Amino acid sequence: MSDPPGDGPRLPRGELLRSRVVPDPGDLLEDALDRRLTGYATVVPGDALLLDVRGRGLLTFADGVPVVAYHERTGRGGESALADLVRAPWRVELLACGASGLAEAHDVAAWRVPPGVPAERLAGVPELAERTRRLAPDCRTDPDAGDLGAVEAFLDDTERIERVKTEARAEAERRAEEWGFSDQVTE
Amino acid sequence: MVEAVAVASGKGGTGKTTTLALGMALAEEHDVTVVDADTGMANLLFHAGLGDADTTLHDVLLGEAPVAAATYDRFGMRVVPCGTSLAAFEAADPERLREAVATLARGTDVLLLDSPATLGSKSAVLPVVLADRTVVVLEPTIPALSDGLKVGEYAAAYGTDVAGVLFNKVRGDADAVVEKTGRYFDGPTLGQVPASEPAREARRAGEPLLAHAPDSSAARAFRSAAGRLDPKPGAAARVADRFRSAVIPDPP
Repeated sequence: MSDPPGDGPRLPRGELLRSRVVPDPGDLLEDALDRRLTGYATVVPGDALLLDVRGRGLLTFADGVPVVAYHERTGRGGESALADLVRAPWRVELLACGASGLAEAHDVAAWRVPPGVPAERLAGVPELAERTRRLAPDCRTDPDAGDLGAVEAFLDDTERIERVKTEARAEAERRAEEWGFSDQVTE
Repeated sequence: MVEAVAVASGKGGTGKTTTLALGMALAEEHDVTVVDADTGMANLLFHAGLGDADTTLHDVLLGEAPVAAATYDRFGMRVVPCGTSLAAFEAADPERLREAVATLARGTDVLLLDSPATLGSKSAVLPVVLADRTVVVLEPTIPALSDGLKVGEYAAAYGTDVAGVLFNKVRGDADAVVEKTGRYFDGPTLGQVPASEPAREARRAGEPLLAHAPDSSAARAFRSAAGRLDPKPGAAARVADRFRSAVIPDPP
């Protein structure tokens, strides 16, 4: 295992398999698993152009199983980078490449994620996480390893959580009128 | 005297099984009535040869049956199946709805309302609007927490207090996640229910956890959470008025 280079993973160009907007991370993870993809996905929020959000999220796969997560905007890798990918829908490109092109990135311990964590903690699909863990090589499955790093990183981002809450409050107030709850709305 | 309590969970959550577990745990100390607007829960409550409910709240609101005929004793609780979604009662006679709910509320300590695992429709949000307090059920995943935060904001917007947050399907040590989550909710943390084999077996058997494995660690965690809920009974008429005005809004 090596230290992370400062400028993020260097990945080969790869063969583009799919480019589309998906509503939910589970969709991408399932596709990669079903294809037994060796390659990587680039992810930007579907509304990135509107929000002027820069930088891509990167998720690499070996035989369909996630290996490395990294986000160019935050410079974070590993489970923390998964929390940087939260904002759906995702605009996703799925690319295939040889395993040798991923070897350097896969050698950086700080960027690696446990196999089932993206499906379990980012997508919230435990069945897909279980399928992923079953297909992962034995050397990558440690039943005692903690796997809540992505969830903790999500909760540490106070600013983003306040944004989620503010948006939900505004949505609730807007819908109150539509659904006839105006009498119930509190100031 | 009654308190209306909604149980709401995030996307992909196990709303009905959690509501039943909490209801059964509460019923060990209190008189509990579950208003069931979820056909999935009806399957859980009425399976095992008990047959489907012939009379529902829908029949009561059509004036075809008394409230008592739509009330069933199951697992130590009274259960009132709606027979349709709560929002579909919009077409009912407002006074009849008010009277039916007042009758239910007068004879119970806790009126438990199951909330579907979505905020996408009036039916899904109504339990949170109608309740005095809401229990937010979370799992330690980003989408479940994200949705739980939204439930908390919907509750606050509609004047419903958060009774507390309950973590379900917890594997390993989630104390840091639980502690950090607590910072974002007004109510206390009610507990952590472990992901366990008895809970999975109960789901596979289609039985409420507290009936299937009453001594399991998950069942004990639900009892402990229910103990922290501490129902605060209020006037039945107030709950009935809220049903009437939220389910059947006055014309503009």
